[in-house]
Amino acid sequence: MKVKEYNIVIAGVGGQGVLTAANILGWAALHAGYKVRMGEVHGMSQRFGSVVSYVRFGEEVYGSMVPEGKGDVILGFEPVEALRYINHLRQGGMVVVNTKPIVPVQVSMGKARYPEIDEIKKIVEEDFKAKWIGFNAEELAIKAGHVVTTNTVLIGALTQIPEFPLDAEHVREVIRLSVPPKAVDINMKAFDLGIEAAKEILGL
Amino acid sequence: MAKVTDMVLWDKPGEKVLLLGNQAIARGALEANIAVYAAYPGTPSSELTDTMAIVAKKAGVYMEYSTNEKVAFETALAAAWSGLRAMTAMKHVGLNVAADTFLSSVGMGVEGGFVIMVADDPSMWSSQNEQDTRVYGKFANVPVLEPSSPHEAKEMTEYAFELSEKFKHFVILRTTTRTSHARGDVVLGELPEEIKQGKRKFGKFNKDPNRFVDVPANARKFHPIILEKIEKIREEFNNMPFNWIEGDESAKVGIIAPGLAYAYVKEALHWLGVENVKVLKLGTPFPVPYGLLEKFMDGLEKVLIVEELEPVVEEQVKTWAYDRGLRIPIHGKDLVPRVYEMTTRRAVTAIAKFLGIDVPLDYGELDAKYNKALEIVPPRPPSLCPACPHRNSFYAIKKATRARGIYPSDIGCYTLGLLPPLNAVDTTVAMGGSIGIAHGLEIAQHGSMSEEQRKKEKKIIVATIGDSTFYHTGLPALANAIYNRSNILIVVLDNLVTAMTGDQPNPSTGQTPHGMGKRIPIEDVAKAMGADFVEVVDPYDTKKTYEVMKKALEVEGVSVVVSRQVCALYKIGQMRRRGEKWPIYYVDEDACTGCKVCINAYGCPAIYWDEERKQARIEPSMCWGCGGCAQICPFGAFKPVEEGEE
Ligand code: SF4
Ligand code: SF4
Repeated sequence: MKVKEYNIVIAGVGGQGVLTAANILGWAALHAGYKVRMGEVHGMSQRFGSVVSYVRFGEEVYGSMVPEGKGDVILGFEPVEALRYINHLRQGGMVVVNTKPIVPVQVSMGKARYPEIDEIKKIVEEDFKAKWIGFNAEELAIKAGHVVTTNTVLIGALTQIPEFPLDAEHVREVIRLSVPPKAVDINMKAFDLGIEAAKEILGL
Repeated sequence: MAKVTDMVLWDKPGEKVLLLGNQAIARGALEANIAVYAAYPGTPSSELTDTMAIVAKKAGVYMEYSTNEKVAFETALAAAWSGLRAMTAMKHVGLNVAADTFLSSVGMGVEGGFVIMVADDPSMWSSQNEQDTRVYGKFANVPVLEPSSPHEAKEMTEYAFELSEKFKHFVILRTTTRTSHARGDVVLGELPEEIKQGKRKFGKFNKDPNRFVDVPANARKFHPIILEKIEKIREEFNNMPFNWIEGDESAKVGIIAPGLAYAYVKEALHWLGVENVKVLKLGTPFPVPYGLLEKFMDGLEKVLIVEELEPVVEEQVKTWAYDRGLRIPIHGKDLVPRVYEMTTRRAVTAIAKFLGIDVPLDYGELDAKYNKALEIVPPRPPSLCPACPHRNSFYAIKKATRARGIYPSDIGCYTLGLLPPLNAVDTTVAMGGSIGIAHGLEIAQHGSMSEEQRKKEKKIIVATIGDSTFYHTGLPALANAIYNRSNILIVVLDNLVTAMTGDQPNPSTGQTPHGMGKRIPIEDVAKAMGADFVEVVDPYDTKKTYEVMKKALEVEGVSVVVSRQVCALYKIGQMRRRGEKWPIYYVDEDACTGCKVCINAYGCPAIYWDEERKQARIEPSMCWGCGGCAQICPFGAFKPVEEGEE
């Protein structure tokens, strides 16, 4: 079944591979025959600052940015970054998030506070009426073989959420083709660990 | 998922691929059989140039990273004079640098198609100002084409070359961040034989001093010619393939949507479920074609122009309407903000107000919830990378000046030295501006002081500038400071690459995309110009760097310290690709006293504070192993781990 429009917001910290993840989803959508639009951050903002990428696909999509209140899912590479772009989520959307924090320098300097994960979760669930699928994806990535596969773990989890319009095996294939040959195995493992984690949380 | 740069050269007409707007433009230029490409990188235009750099040799295109936009412009222009299809690209502020040549040469026209790609950055995601290049187009009487999607960007590029050739006039292809950095499905077209075979094309310059020598007598003839051309082009645009009228023909209300605004307008109308409107999709915000406008306006009772930034289209439409005696309400900047980028929300809000209907979402409620959420979100501005050599340079400058200096800086990654804890950037204006500002500050602070007074009250002025920026526009400013006997310290942060825009090479790198160029060491230039003190340091050696800064500050006159160490991001990228490991550091819990020097004065993003133990910690996945922390920690708490990281 084809969707009219599906909007993914990917949020994280520069250097975490947000763009790579967006690209994988974009190609998977293109292969599935959809029209695709993606928006991304370049230049200075990529340097360890907050970054966001948008992946939109469907039968009719126009702009490259997910409008406020229209996101179906936020894929958070880092917990406060998921919250930073929460205005893009629709009511009743989903937040799939890596709960391992990256503490900003301002927090270490004592000039700002890093919230508890539960505070973030509460806002997501209560104010935005969204479902929270949070787990330590970094830990799973390390288990799979390398911390850089954190984004693969998250994509794996993403494919399990209800009504996700892309086929998990299809997404897996795009990952297989896009990572260097020697990294295929650990990425496949990371993908599976992500799937398992999401299934467990969703009670599937 | 093939490599993007391969796809740009794919000989597969009809194939649908996912390309970045900038890459789509590169493909468009290849499909148009471009021969010469020259540019200086600048976000959001850089990937166009980078893509060209990779495909150029295979496609037989001459391509260069020029030292600045003006030089790039002149290189491409001369090729276009020689009958070749040529292109230059820059960000909006880059056009300011090229403006002198641009405005002076437009009257001379071209022989081969000449396309100037300018990427604007509404909302200033990566820029020092927000300027609308369409205004430049109007100013110079050069047509501006503006795509509404990546695919259109490709098609429009090809058309731009044809248009330029037809009228022997310059053409601006203007994008914004959201076109340049949008990815979308693009259908590949045919590549010309010459590009497929990688055959380099050569032109011929036919001398014509009446045309190419801009003495007043000749220049006087140009202006009316330019005006004549632009009116002919206005006519032409009535029928160009990227302008059209759509929607309900009998509608009483109309919306004009230039460039990317079209995408937002479509999205908004879709969302609002509105059907009885007529839309004028404009690929040419300047000049607005009057014939098409006339057809569009026929029967309308009111009109809204949805455009980003300046009211460029609005002013043309209003002038036209006034001259026609047309007295219907024409809305624009009264409903659409004039600052920052367009969003669907902005388009929806403006259109709903214009039509007197409700917006589909309670934005007030959303904002309230969002603001509440933001209360617990700590700021996370971009920062200098872990192991960034600039951090050490700034650290040494601050220490040598006992934080009592004034620090003019420039455009590049190092502008981030502005942030705490370094706080080592007091001014940034424009490319190459740091040295000029430092010189001006020196005159203003000390110019008329007596020798004695000066000794007592002297404010130390330390300018920082990157290698690429130094060659971009730092050179004339350096000559000026030396010539006028300034008393400043200039630290050239030489990381051997143009880091901020994506590691492009420059004269300090020596390397070009196609092999070795000739490297120009910055210290040689400074010495040749007559600087009073010139020395090179490795900022990874913090002690030595500090000592050299100290020494330089004691010298009367212009001192130049070249702080040279390769960009960490670039280096780590290369090591990753080669599968090499680098040392990572950790905090020895017995040694760390919790003094926080590493956090409060140095600020490597890999170092964080462990609130429970009141000690510093290193996030191993972020440490790039420079050893800087080990050198600045007074208690020797940072130590390398035995095992390297991949
Ligand atoms: S990219 Fe290079 S120059 Fe820029 S902050 Fe990172 S290490 Fe420093
Ligand atoms: S060695 Fe120290 S200063 Fe260098 S990257 Fe690692 S934590 Fe940062």
